Amino acid sequence: MFNEMYQSESLIRNHYNNINEWLEKMTAKVINEKNAEAETHFRNIGITFSTNSETARERIIPFDLIPRIFTFSEWSKLEKGVIQRAKALNAFLADIYNQGEIIKANIIPKELIFKKKSYEVSMFGFTPPRSIYSPIVGIDLVRTNHNEYFVLEDNCRTPSGVSYMLENREIMMRMFPDLFHTNRVTPIDDYPTRLLQTLMSLAPIKCNTSEPVCVLLTPGPLNSAYYEHSFLSDQMGIEMVESTDLFVEGEFLYMKTVDGPKKVDVVYRRIDDDFLDPLCFNPNSVIGIPGIMDVYRTGGVNICSAPGAGIADDKAIYIFVPEMIKFYLGEQPILENVQTWSCDKDDDLNYVLDNLSDLVVKEVDGSGGYGMLIGPKSSKSSIEEFRRKLSANPRGYIAQPLLDLSFSPTLIKNQVEGRRVDLRPFCLMGENAQLSSGGLTRVAMNEGSFVVNSSQGGGVKDTWVLAE
Amino acid sequence: MLSRTAEYLYWISRYMERAETNARLLDVGYRMSLFPNPNGYNNEWESVLAAAGAIQGYKNKYNIIEQKKVEDYLFFDEDNPSSVFNCILNARSNALVVRTSFTPESWLAINKTYQEILKLKNNNFNASDLPNLTEWTIEQVNLFRGSLSSLLRNDGYNFLYLGLFVERADNSARLLDVKYFVLLPKPQYIGGNIDNMQWSILLRSLSSFNAFRWAYDGNVTSTKIADFLVLNSNCPRSLSFCIQNIVKHLTNLTCSPEKVNKIYNTLKDLNTKIQEEKIESIVDFGLHEFVTQFINKISSVDSDIQKEFFN
Repeated sequence: MFNEMYQSESLIRNHYNNINEWLEKMTAKVINEKNAEAETHFRNIGITFSTNSETARERIIPFDLIPRIFTFSEWSKLEKGVIQRAKALNAFLADIYNQGEIIKANIIPKELIFKKKSYEVSMFGFTPPRSIYSPIVGIDLVRTNHNEYFVLEDNCRTPSGVSYMLENREIMMRMFPDLFHTNRVTPIDDYPTRLLQTLMSLAPIKCNTSEPVCVLLTPGPLNSAYYEHSFLSDQMGIEMVESTDLFVEGEFLYMKTVDGPKKVDVVYRRIDDDFLDPLCFNPNSVIGIPGIMDVYRTGGVNICSAPGAGIADDKAIYIFVPEMIKFYLGEQPILENVQTWSCDKDDDLNYVLDNLSDLVVKEVDGSGGYGMLIGPKSSKSSIEEFRRKLSANPRGYIAQPLLDLSFSPTLIKNQVEGRRVDLRPFCLMGENAQLSSGGLTRVAMNEGSFVVNSSQGGGVKDTWVLAE
Repeated sequence: MLSRTAEYLYWISRYMERAETNARLLDVGYRMSLFPNPNGYNNEWESVLAAAGAIQGYKNKYNIIEQKKVEDYLFFDEDNPSSVFNCILNARSNALVVRTSFTPESWLAINKTYQEILKLKNNNFNASDLPNLTEWTIEQVNLFRGSLSSLLRNDGYNFLYLGLFVERADNSARLLDVKYFVLLPKPQYIGGNIDNMQWSILLRSLSSFNAFRWAYDGNVTSTKIADFLVLNSNCPRSLSFCIQNIVKHLTNLTCSPEKVNKIYNTLKDLNTKIQEEKIESIVDFGLHEFVTQFINKISSVDSDIQKEFFN
C-alpha cells in the first residue's frame, strides 16, 4: 500500500511537513468547529445533492479538512499524460465520424464502434469547430505507488465535479488562510475563465463576432449536478438556460429574452444526447430543442460536447486508448490503463469466471459505483450471483484487477487515518489544450473501502498542486 | 436577460414580500389576543385569516379557529400556498434557478433563511414564540432586501422591484379592505373618532405605526389613517407609494420599450389620479369601492407584466 503522506512508517514526505505540523497543533475542538463551519458553508451556498428523503431534502458530500498534495514535478507528469489522452480521444472521435482510419488499420474492430448506442450516426461526415468533440475531458486516475498512476476511466461527455474542486479550495482558504501563507499552492480560481475562453474559441463557422454568445444548457433544478451548472454559468457570466428557453428559427438558435430573441453561438450542454433534439434523437422526449441538430450541422451553433462524443468514454473503447495514443499522436502513453478483460471475448470471459474472487467486474454502461462486483471484498453468495449475471450477458461486463488505491491522511472522528483516494483533473480542449491546476479528490470515507463515489459514502478533499 | 429569469426574479420578491406580510399579520393577531375584547367575542384570528386570504383553506382543514392552529397554518403549513414556509420555499427554489442573476449575498440571504426555517419547522414551537418568529421573518426579508442594494441596476433589478411593489400594493390594499370591514362595520363610524387600538393594529400590520405618529399631529382619525395608507407618498406601504414605484421600475426597464409603454399607458391615469386625489373625495366615493378598483387594476398590471415579458 502507498500512503501519500508517509515515506515510511515514521517519515513524513517533505511536501507534507507543513500539513503535518498544522495537524499536530489542531485540537479536537478546532476540528469540530471547522467541520461544522465547512458544513454550514456548503449548505448555505447550496452545494448539495437532491435526495428523495423527505427529512433531509438535500444532502451534502462529506468534506475532509486535510488537503491532498501534489508536488510540481508529480503534477507535471500527470498534466502531460492527461493532455495526451484528451488529444487522442478527440482525434479518435474525429476519425470514427469521418475516414475511420483506426478501423482500416485493424486496431479497433468496427463492430465495437458502429454497433454502440453511443455512436451517433447523424454525426457521420460532420466535423465540429477545430475538430474538438469533447472540450472538457475528465480523466479518473488512481495512484498505486510513488510514480505509478492508472487511468480508471475517461469522461468525454459532461464530466462533473469541477465546482467541488473550486469550492473546496474556497472553503480551505477561508478557514485556514495561514496554510496558504506557508505553502505555495497554485491557484485554480481561473478555471471558469479558461472554460469560457475554451468555449468561445469553439464558435461555429457562421458566427461572425469575436465574442460569441455562450450558454449553459441544464436539464433543470432536479438534476443532481444543478448546483454546478448554476455555479459555472455564474462564474463565466453566461446564461444558464433550459431547453424551453431555446428555439430554432431559420439557420440559427435563439434564446427567449425580455428583449426578444437573442442568437446563441455556443451551447455548453449538460444534458444527454437523447434530450437534445426530439427531431433527431428521442422522439418521445418532451424536453429538447426541435431542429437544433440541423442548425448545428450547418454551422449555426456549436454544441459542446458534440453529440456522439460518449463513444470515446465507453468502457469497451477504454481498452484501446493506449493504442489510440500511439496511432494518432505517434507517442508512447504517459499514463497507463488498468489491465482489462472484456467479457465478450471467450478467453477473457473464461479467465474472469475462473478468477472472480480476485477481480473487479463492472457493467460496461454502469456508473456511480453501482452494479459492480469487488471480488476480494464480496461474499461467496454475491460472487455466485454475479457469475450468473455475467454468464447471461458477457458483453455487458468488463473486469479489472483490484488496484491498491493510494491512502491519503483523513480525519475520522478527529483522528488522522489513511483512506483511499482517486483523482479527477479537468482538461480543457479549445484553442489550447490545458489542465486544471488541481482536480477533484474523492475519498472512500469508510475504513477499508475502495469505493469513492459520493452515492456510496465517498467524501471530497481539496487538492493542492505546489508551485515550482 | 432570459424571460424565465425575469419571471423568477419577479416572483422571488413577491414571495419574500408576502412572507413578511403574513408574519406581520400573525403578530397583529397575537397582539390582539393579548387585549381584553370589549364585545366578549374573539374574532381576531378570523380577521387575520381573512386578511391573509387564507380563510377558506383554513376552514377546509380545521373546524375551529384557535391561535395555535392559525399560527401553524399561516407560518409553517405546507398545505397553505401562502404560508411563510411556502413563500420562503418558493422564493428559494426560484432563487436556485436564477442565482446567477443576482449577487451571491442575495442567494445566501434566501438560502440561509430556507435552512433556518427548515430547522424551525422541525422544532415544536410554542404559541409564545410567535413574536420571535415574526421578528425573525422580518429580519430575514430585510437581509434579502439589503443584499439587493449591491445589485447591478439592470433589468433584473427592476423586475425584482416590480415584483416587490406589485405584491405590496396588493397586500396593502387587501389589508385596508379587510380591516375596513372588520373594524368599521358601521357606516356612522366612518370619519369619526374611532377606537385607537383597532386602527393601531392596522398600522402595525403595515409596519407603519410609529411612522404615522411622526407624519400626523393630533387625534387619530380614520380619515388621517386612510390618507396615510392610501395617498401619502412618503409612507412606503401606501398605495400611492407602491404605484409610483411600479411606474418607476417599469419605465426604468431598458428592454422592449414598446411593451413598457403599453403597460405604462394602462397605469398612467391611476398614477396621476392617486397623486392628485383628496382623501375626502375617496371617502365620499367609498373607500371599499376605491380599494376594489385599485386591487383590480394591480391585478391587471400583474397579468400584463407576465404576458408581455415572461411568455
